[in-house]
Amino acid sequence: MGRKLTTCTFCGTGCGIYLETAGDRIVGAYPSMSHPANEGKICVRGWHVHEVASSPDRLTSPLLQKNGSFEKTTWDEAFAFIAARLKKIRDQYGPESLAFLDSPRCSNEEAYLLQKLARTIIGTNNVDHGAGVYCNNSLNVLLEMTGIPAASNSIGELERSDVIIVDGVDLGRQLPTVGGWVIRAKLKGARLIVIDSRRHRVAENADLFLQIKPGTESVLYGAMAKVIVDRGLMKLSFIKARCEGYEAFLGRVRDYDLLQAAGVCGVPAESIEAAALTYGRARAAVILYSTGIEARDEDTIRGLINLALLTGNFGHEGAGVFPLTEHNNLQGVCDMGMLPDRLPGYQAVADPKARATLEGIWQARIPATPGVGAGTLFANGGSTPMKALWLGRYDPVSTAFFGDAADALDRCDLVVMQHLFMTDSAEFADVVLPTTAFGEERVSFTSAERRIQIAEQVIDPPPGPMPAWEQLTRLARAMGADWKYESAAEVMHEIGQVIPFYGGASYENLLREYGRQWPCTTDHPLGTARLFADAEIGHSFKFAPVACPPTPAGNPDGFPFALVFGHSLYYWHQNILIKRSETLKREYRLLLLDYPDGFVEINTEDAKRLGIRDGGRIRLSTATGSLTSTARVTSEVRGGTAFVPYFVRQLKREMLGAAEDGRALVPVRVEKEAA
Amino acid sequence: MKARIVKSADVLKIVDLLRERAYEVTAPFCGRGRDSCFDIVTEANRAQVQIHLPNPYYPPKRFVFPHIERLMTVRKENGELKMEPAYAETRRAIFGIRSCDVAGLWHLDRFYLGRDFRDVYYEKRRRNLFLVNVVCTDPARDLGDDCFCLCADTGPAARDHFDLQLMDLGDDEFMAVAGTVAGEELFSAPIFHPGTAAHVERRRVILAEVRKSFRTTTSWFPATVRYVSQGGITDATWEEIGKRCLECGGCTYVCPACTCFTVSDRQVGPNEVERVRIWDSCALSGFTRMAGGFNPRRAVHDRRNRRFFRKLAYYFIQRELSVACVGCGRCAAVCHGDIGMPSVVEMIRRGAPETAKNEPVPN
Amino acid sequence: MNPSQTENIYLPKLAVLDRVVDDIPEVKTFYWRFQDAAAQAEFKQFRPGQFAQISLFGVGEFPASLPPSPTEDETFFTIRQVGSCTSALHRLKPHDQFAVRGPYGNGFPMKDYEGMNLTFVAGGIGLIPLRSCIVYALQHRAKYGRIQVFYGAKTPGELMYLPDLRAWEKSGAMECHLTVDRAADGWKENVGVVGSLFKRPGVNVPVENTTAFVCGPPIMFRFVIKDLLALGFKERNIVSTLERYMKCGVGKCGHCCIGVAYICVDGPVFTYEEIKKLGEDI
Repeated sequence: MGRKLTTCTFCGTGCGIYLETAGDRIVGAYPSMSHPANEGKICVRGWHVHEVASSPDRLTSPLLQKNGSFEKTTWDEAFAFIAARLKKIRDQYGPESLAFLDSPRCSNEEAYLLQKLARTIIGTNNVDHGAGVYCNNSLNVLLEMTGIPAASNSIGELERSDVIIVDGVDLGRQLPTVGGWVIRAKLKGARLIVIDSRRHRVAENADLFLQIKPGTESVLYGAMAKVIVDRGLMKLSFIKARCEGYEAFLGRVRDYDLLQAAGVCGVPAESIEAAALTYGRARAAVILYSTGIEARDEDTIRGLINLALLTGNFGHEGAGVFPLTEHNNLQGVCDMGMLPDRLPGYQAVADPKARATLEGIWQARIPATPGVGAGTLFANGGSTPMKALWLGRYDPVSTAFFGDAADALDRCDLVVMQHLFMTDSAEFADVVLPTTAFGEERVSFTSAERRIQIAEQVIDPPPGPMPAWEQLTRLARAMGADWKYESAAEVMHEIGQVIPFYGGASYENLLREYGRQWPCTTDHPLGTARLFADAEIGHSFKFAPVACPPTPAGNPDGFPFALVFGHSLYYWHQNILIKRSETLKREYRLLLLDYPDGFVEINTEDAKRLGIRDGGRIRLSTATGSLTSTARVTSEVRGGTAFVPYFVRQLKREMLGAAEDGRALVPVRVEKEAA
Repeated sequence: MKARIVKSADVLKIVDLLRERAYEVTAPFCGRGRDSCFDIVTEANRAQVQIHLPNPYYPPKRFVFPHIERLMTVRKENGELKMEPAYAETRRAIFGIRSCDVAGLWHLDRFYLGRDFRDVYYEKRRRNLFLVNVVCTDPARDLGDDCFCLCADTGPAARDHFDLQLMDLGDDEFMAVAGTVAGEELFSAPIFHPGTAAHVERRRVILAEVRKSFRTTTSWFPATVRYVSQGGITDATWEEIGKRCLECGGCTYVCPACTCFTVSDRQVGPNEVERVRIWDSCALSGFTRMAGGFNPRRAVHDRRNRRFFRKLAYYFIQRELSVACVGCGRCAAVCHGDIGMPSVVEMIRRGAPETAKNEPVPN
Repeated sequence: MNPSQTENIYLPKLAVLDRVVDDIPEVKTFYWRFQDAAAQAEFKQFRPGQFAQISLFGVGEFPASLPPSPTEDETFFTIRQVGSCTSALHRLKPHDQFAVRGPYGNGFPMKDYEGMNLTFVAGGIGLIPLRSCIVYALQHRAKYGRIQVFYGAKTPGELMYLPDLRAWEKSGAMECHLTVDRAADGWKENVGVVGSLFKRPGVNVPVENTTAFVCGPPIMFRFVIKDLLALGFKERNIVSTLERYMKCGVGKCGHCCIGVAYICVDGPVFTYEEIKKLGEDI
């Protein structure tokens, strides 16, 4: 019987959790009382971490595709094969024809080594992670406006916020521990403002629930800014001392109108005004938004950061902005440079000085041209057709809702897949490399509050799989590079040399308490709970003027509903670990069982008006086409919208004329389908 | 019950006595920060066993009702199915179990061993269990912010259902009380000395002091039983509670008196299947969902209602002769939305129709 | 009899499938017996209305009503394919092994109803648990008064045990009134919900000294109860078998609780009077 304190690896909260072991099995899990991110609380996924048994369909050996079926091979043979093929493809088609993608669940060490391999050995910047399509806009805007693409404060500070805005994320399902902090803050007297088109659990607790028309958030933020400016609630001392671009921003704010915003957003003007005044008058106000599949566009994120700058909500306790990450290591893989246009630590690929510094440390050339991301890749964009694809724990055929991953994989001469189990993408793989699972290796992850934490090894892996970082090391050596990493800790040592804000994050330091929040340097080894606390000379925030978008044309006659695609609420049911836990499968896949042919969500009032029953067939018609589906009637959905979960892909393709990225709203008519 | 006095310096020797009697002894140890846990005592860690520390969060019910437990394995041999039950019969002693958790185990005894069927897996584990209860005497170190064993009448000193009870009397002395023949048998060891009336008086004084030191009290507990049993709680109260629930299941998992589980078959080899049981929670939406889609407790407030009905309704108290809440406070500590037992009792009190009906109205 | 107290209540006994007969679409009847003759003999002491837990190792376990009367020769289950466990059962072939635990539950106290009229009201696959009582009553015909069956399904093709029902009616031992929601295949009998049968010309439902058995989907149950109460039935003379998700079948796992009752040990058979006192809506 034993137990170890480790980090949960589901979402970006990074809860402290104990794994209880007996012999070679994990037999229990429970929260840490003192971990600063969760203080004794975890979600249903954490409580069932131990349920994922070592199952017989775990991959136990490298596999090579030979004549239509997979054959077992040795690691050496696998690496030799991959090395030879990578070289061949690079020589024949050029380095731009290879791409290296990983999952936002990959550890820091394996993400770091993957982009290093791609850049220094293959010579390409075609590196990205599977959630890039959703989160990279947040990254870019934060870099532009605050200079740091990460949460500004710590999760535990939420209980001392006066005002909390939760925008577009169902905390109860995605980051429950953060949802708990928000609810408890509200119980202690904080004012809670929820902006979302869906009425989710946390929204039920809101003082102000702005059930907004999807896609209109940037207008809302612009109008809120206007209210704050008109009432003189901006923090001029902060703006003068620490911000640039205020005048240009003010120029654009004048274009917004409260009543017009109310009409566009479908939210009462009094509510927008109340939200703005509440936020503007707060001593410490914080905004939480998501970088998951339901991510906001760049203008919306600019809008909300503008609000934080306008009111001086950076640098003190309970304030700030949180880009929340629904995958546990989204922050980490971005920090590690799994981005086509950024190096580890976020320096631009296009910056010659940044490249030169890195080349000095790595003793290898780095290509100068930024690469292509997963979104472009799967849409068959990019100037060079893709001939080789590396998938690090990433299963785009199941989980990528942009482009056509299957098609892209099919066109490749080489697909290498690293994973725990066979996945849908494996159908297209030439080589499959089995990786170790949570609890079987000691690696690090970085949570949404910049906390770099160790996930411990508590049991031995089954015979066969190898840690992904070790696979990359061996492959690099097979390709002639002199990589010598004996442990994940050694990889972190190099990461600390390459990324200044990881400079003090040695494993020894990380294990002393509860990880460390970056910046964690050798000068500040205890890490940094809160960014921007000292008004440092030289750092300035930048306002981003956001022009008021033209009022969208109303729905054409006969098509009164807005068809909205995609929702992260149901995302987790694709997660491999959830599929393998009986209880989690039951909890997260209920909707798939209740509606086996997929569904479209309609608001209860709308359904009553149209005579639609829950589970009944409905017809959706656009100007160009129509099809049928099953109705799920729920009061969670905003009236006037028809919500299509992302996985009902065939619906998306068949709605002729539908916007590709699902963000633009498609006018649609909804009616009961005759029997 | 027979009592003896033992010097503080000799208290850990009780662990040795148990190990000599072939018990695997688990005792509490401090972890990082406020974390504490039960672990097996070995030569290497014996000196770190703690008497006064926060009550370990992971409830000791897991020693008789594990978080995940193999029930049987089934193999196919020569075309025939062969079933093999898996029993755990380790002789285990829990040194340092709190009075609230002792009451929890008593409740589980009534549930698993009573009524229509005896649960043999529970029985084998329970039969081999020796309980050394430690009385909470130090308000700063032993009592948590959420403890309310007083209101549940289970502590700070358990009255029964332990083998041996230890209580720190101060002045380097502990009182040891034997609750069973097995416990009394230990008194033959030389570390135990007879006590005096003065010792009994010191015990009484210390307990009276500790009773004043609880930071959470829900003296409305018995009235809540009445309201829950009579169905007198408004829907609005349950909805308010439901709004704050994030459906994590934590309250059920940490509760010493919660008993629900699910059963799952898993492949563990090419020809071998294991059937396990795993803690389950009525807080979860799928708990009552039937194949075919009908779910009688689809709404979260119906599930919250269910939890407190099962915990507090008079019918169950009468049936099991034991209340399904021991006042340990873990549900309050683990809850995201602050709807543990103390908070819910308060919300029921505030929302009671009688209260609203009889509010004074000036003019 | 319920398994003895010293046994491992979760350990099923091995059973073998003898033959499978198709019933209505997605429903099959599985004729089976325990491999051990003593276990089979003991099991045959079950009461109408009890159920058993069927194990498909590797997939799971699920509860199934016992449609045969204990006085019939063969033991069988009638199961609709609706989830992973039932699908695994549907894939079995004769001579395949599986496992069974039981019988569990309280069952219908058929002896208490001796001397009374019996009125059975069923909807859809709700006829399955009631079949046991009907056959038991027919096999002890002299002990009971009038026996009536009121049974409805969505379509004629979904009426369960139709050949049996026709045969029993033809023998004169009982009345049989059938209805469907939607007529098809030349259906000439009643069209409408089950309750509409009570008002059909020529139908006379005794109320004095009569027990009404009701089993069907929740919505049918609600309406039929209303109809029976309107006819004058007393709440304690209306009896039903309730269904809930079950895992252990022995009153420990908690899944099947309704209010104060564990359906698997306190039920599944309850009078309507008892159902109203459970403390939770069904």
